[in-house]
Amino acid sequence: MSWLRISLTAFAVSAALPVYAQTVTITTAGGDYGNAMKEAMWAPAAKELGYDVREETLSDGLAALKMQVTSGAVTTDVIHLGSPEGAQAAAQSLLEPLDYKIIDPKAVPAGAKSDYCYPFDSYGTVLSWNTKTYGENPPKTWAEFWDVAKFPGRRALRANAQDSIEIALLSDGVAPADVYPVLSTPEGLDRAIKRLEAIKPNVAVWWTSGAQSAQLLKDGEADLVVTWNGRAQTVKADGGAADYTFKGSVIGTDCLAVPKGAPNKEAAMKLIAAMTQPARVAKLTDFIAYGPVNPAGYEGGLIPEDRLKTLATAPENAGTSVFSNSEWWVKNGEAAQKAFDEMMAR
Amino acid sequence: MTATADPALAADALRERRFFLSLSLPALFIVGLAAILPILWIIRQSFLTTGGEYTFGNYEKVLSSGLTWSALVTTLELSLATLAICILLGTPLALALASARPRVANVLMAFVMLPLWTSILVRTYGWLVLLRRDGLINAALTGSGLTAEPLPLVYNFTGTLIGMVHYMLPLFLLPVYAAMRDIDANLIRASSSMGASLGQVIRTVILPLSAGGIFSGSTIVFIYTIGFFITPAVLGGGKVNPLSTRIERTLSTFQDWGSASVLGILLLIVMAMIGVMFLAARRLSTRNGAAHA
Repeated sequence: MSWLRISLTAFAVSAALPVYAQTVTITTAGGDYGNAMKEAMWAPAAKELGYDVREETLSDGLAALKMQVTSGAVTTDVIHLGSPEGAQAAAQSLLEPLDYKIIDPKAVPAGAKSDYCYPFDSYGTVLSWNTKTYGENPPKTWAEFWDVAKFPGRRALRANAQDSIEIALLSDGVAPADVYPVLSTPEGLDRAIKRLEAIKPNVAVWWTSGAQSAQLLKDGEADLVVTWNGRAQTVKADGGAADYTFKGSVIGTDCLAVPKGAPNKEAAMKLIAAMTQPARVAKLTDFIAYGPVNPAGYEGGLIPEDRLKTLATAPENAGTSVFSNSEWWVKNGEAAQKAFDEMMAR
Repeated sequence: MTATADPALAADALRERRFFLSLSLPALFIVGLAAILPILWIIRQSFLTTGGEYTFGNYEKVLSSGLTWSALVTTLELSLATLAICILLGTPLALALASARPRVANVLMAFVMLPLWTSILVRTYGWLVLLRRDGLINAALTGSGLTAEPLPLVYNFTGTLIGMVHYMLPLFLLPVYAAMRDIDANLIRASSSMGASLGQVIRTVILPLSAGGIFSGSTIVFIYTIGFFITPAVLGGGKVNPLSTRIERTLSTFQDWGSASVLGILLLIVMAMIGVMFLAARRLSTRNGAAHA
């Protein structure tokens, strides 16, 4: 008797819920970043679409995605990944192709475009310097960063080929648009590695974590540090004798994708389209210094003027910067890293 | 053994041995689970492609790469240099500790042990604070005018070596100290009374009798330092890349479990070879030591 009553109650309760509400599950990295995405992007989008969005948080999105897809138990509809991870996931056939009838492919710059993971925010690998060492006249281009005669001082670079080889080519006079075409030739990678080898005697530290690069800049252990804009901005804001420029930065992006076999594929595409509307990606900068990839996010005063300076993709920085090409890295990353490591061991 | 003459007693002894053996089963089980199984797994992994097929490709790739061999050279350089400094600093210190009055020895021992109880991460970052350009040591050197420019004490081989010696010295000291303390004081008194100078006493009595401890200490230092990761990673500034950082790179950048496993096995083989060499040398030297005594 009681079982019947419980079942009937359960039936009544579930019938009372709006059955027409589309449920979509989104997986983010959580933390401050996850909250920022919720407040600025998906919560307003869900409201507009009338979706019931559930959030899951995971720190290692790619590993979780791989497990869900290979085990055939996909529970998430939208997943937040770094663009290199997105490209890796696409190469391993873990993602649905983006539905460009629903999502606008032309809203992001050509250099950032992907068929599987839709880029929405960005950060830059930038040139930062110690203001005590250089005063009013710091090196502001990669060519000047390499000019040890005119700008003596201790350099710090990341102990990784990623971003370093792009920067090396920029310093050698390669135009931003030509960086990947040049790198794709056999001589191109050599040229970048030779350039890094030339600066090597002046590199005091090859850093391995973002926190370490910030520490080097803050302590004056190095005078010129290649670091991420968020790190440089934090040192500067904390009163460190440091400044940085977005000119010539290598821009990395984060993106949104739909796992292969997602339960609500079409709704997921619609959610991605809605949550990446210019006003929403602009609003994200209220919470965290990751600027929109979509240039429209910078228009119409969506982002306050003074904040623009802290964003890698602000329009005034466009043209000098290079979008890190995830597909290139998935294809050539191992060879590039090997050449880099061999240069380091010489 | 007279006991074995009686079959009943022999059966008892056998039962006893079996009982003791069964007592050690939990420990054997844990060792098997925690040490042998992962090693077997790594060996299997080293023969697999990323797709899970059997291959020798990982071995070819790792052993034909110059990076592997330069990492191995760095590993051996770091370990040998750490060992040499530990012997030079640790042996006299152990001698001082063993010959000090018990109360003084206890206090000194506390100083030796204190760093051993501190997390290696904390100590490594501590060295960073001391050794960096505007760190305490350089501030003192430049402030007092001893050096015009801060010395490059960290983010290089020197800094890595300082951090490693600091970690290993207590571990070297303990067996050496134990061996020296166990030397019969009468032997030293006897040799002195026969007219041996202090140097002669140390050379002909103390060192040969503590050779076993020195070899144990050296074995510990060498085998520990072969696999060191944190210290070179933090204090090496990306310029000191032993096999351990090579393994990390292979895993984190390339997600190449096969090649990383090959590197791990290489490390294991080097460790085993060095262990055997030390054991052989130790047997030889203690035999000579005994002959001297």
